[in-house]
Amino acid sequence: MGDTLVAVGGAFLAAGLLARLGRRVGLPTIPFFMAAGVIFGPNTPGIALVEHPEDLELLAALGLILLLFHLGLEFSVGDLLAGGRRLLGVGAIYLLLNVGGGLAFGAALGWGSREALVVAGAVGISSSAIVTKLLVELRRLANTESRLILGIIVVEDIFLALYLALLQPVLGGAQGASEVAVQFAVAFAFLVGLGAVARWGAGVVGRLITTSDDELLTVCFVGLAILVAGAAEELGVSDAIGAFMIGLVLAESTVAHRIEHLVLPLRDAFAAAFFFAFGLTIDPGDAWSVAGPVGVAMALSIVLNLTAGVIAARLHGFGRVAAANIGFTILGRGEFSLILATLAASAGLDGRIGPFVALYVLLLAVAGPLLTARSRRLARLLPARLFPPAPTRPAVAAPPGPKGTP
Amino acid sequence: MNRPDPRPSPKLFGGDVTEVALPGIGQRYDIGVADGGPLTVVIHHSGRRDLYVIDPQGDEPRAAVTLTDAQARTLGAILGGAYFKPAVVEEIEAVIGDLLIDWVTVEETSPGAGRTIAELEIRRRTRMTVAAILRDRVPLIAPEPTETLLPGDRLVVIGRQEDLTGFRRHVVG
Repeated sequence: MGDTLVAVGGAFLAAGLLARLGRRVGLPTIPFFMAAGVIFGPNTPGIALVEHPEDLELLAALGLILLLFHLGLEFSVGDLLAGGRRLLGVGAIYLLLNVGGGLAFGAALGWGSREALVVAGAVGISSSAIVTKLLVELRRLANTESRLILGIIVVEDIFLALYLALLQPVLGGAQGASEVAVQFAVAFAFLVGLGAVARWGAGVVGRLITTSDDELLTVCFVGLAILVAGAAEELGVSDAIGAFMIGLVLAESTVAHRIEHLVLPLRDAFAAAFFFAFGLTIDPGDAWSVAGPVGVAMALSIVLNLTAGVIAARLHGFGRVAAANIGFTILGRGEFSLILATLAASAGLDGRIGPFVALYVLLLAVAGPLLTARSRRLARLLPARLFPPAPTRPAVAAPPGPKGTP
Repeated sequence: MNRPDPRPSPKLFGGDVTEVALPGIGQRYDIGVADGGPLTVVIHHSGRRDLYVIDPQGDEPRAAVTLTDAQARTLGAILGGAYFKPAVVEEIEAVIGDLLIDWVTVEETSPGAGRTIAELEIRRRTRMTVAAILRDRVPLIAPEPTETLLPGDRLVVIGRQEDLTGFRRHVVG
């Protein structure tokens, strides 16, 4: 028991201290948690805190569940609709470009079609955690385009949930078209079922766990989240999507805000364990074999994100700087890419996906914030003719007010 | 076209404040003020507040301040004049929608001085409510109707804006 505790404690502490170094220079935490796993794992010389990644399996699973549970909890249909059709349109364009480009890239890699689907999601979907934190830290929340960036993130979040739900039957080792079809039907029924509960039964579920006592509420929602995630996994739908859906249900309950608050420290701790455990499975020696694909994927992501940024800015009448801000900010990749890589690993897909995603996330996590902080200067690289010759539009909010001083 | 879906909330603030939801973060309020640029306040779900002074010419804010929930409330109270009333300001009023909160001082010569809230029939005759009495800097929250108003008392009153004048005439003189 003692050695397990030393391993777990060492894992948390190593992840925390390494990420702290990163924070000093303004880098996101997720890649450092992962890097700690690589460094203190069995595949690198020096101290191996954890010899067998399976030892952290349960902690990592809880991290994954809490990540998705919190995502579902925070998701609000109101937020999605508040931006209107234009926002949905921009989100759709972003996903079409990036997931579509990722799919073409994944297919070109020739690792297999299931692998291509995982790669598409891993390079196509931004990290909500990294993007949100970046906006706060660069003090850009007051910028007009930040609202749009956060809107795109919301659209991406809901897409991720659907993607996870549909990917699982494909990855789940179902043989033949009919079996896949059955798996799809189960996944779909699960989504619709819990979606209906969120819409009409949230009050009942809420009453089941609602108490004014924070301690009891925490114990109850943790139990509910893990139980539904486990049930989903048993049904072949994936624990991630189960956790997301029960989060969605509780988001409609009266205690949603309190749960949101209470779940944060739990999520932070266990998610770090998830990223660390992912790092344990990575052998840095494999990095060279995937260096080429990672380089291409990074270049592709930067081009596609900037393209999406320019289109989004054009649709909203923003200028060059705002376009660069959008493009570079949503470049952040993190938890979702790693979740997809974990799914791929547990489905026994091509072993190169793990190192590929790990290196891709690590490099983008460093490049993304650095580029974003300099987006104003980099904006000059965008051709001016892409933007309407209207008078220079400020990237920040003009004085508002219905009386109108435009 | 420059601003996506600004949602003016004239009911709350009298018209020159725009409220925008920031998904996953909280709410953003743009307050049109001088210097050509708006003052922007971001209230995070966590209670954290960010204050931005926007530079209309530039892309980065001219100033940015981050406050905790408690600090923000203190700052709000200071700005609202709860601690110190500048001499040039005759009256301090805070209007939230139809609701008005004001501070008035009872003078030696005030018709209300030396009389109780019940005797003055403040609520019935002025439709205003005395929410607190600040006496020797000690607040007396929700005073009883039997409480006597003394010269020098500062009254925190709540009511409708249109009733304030009547209240002043009746109590302060």
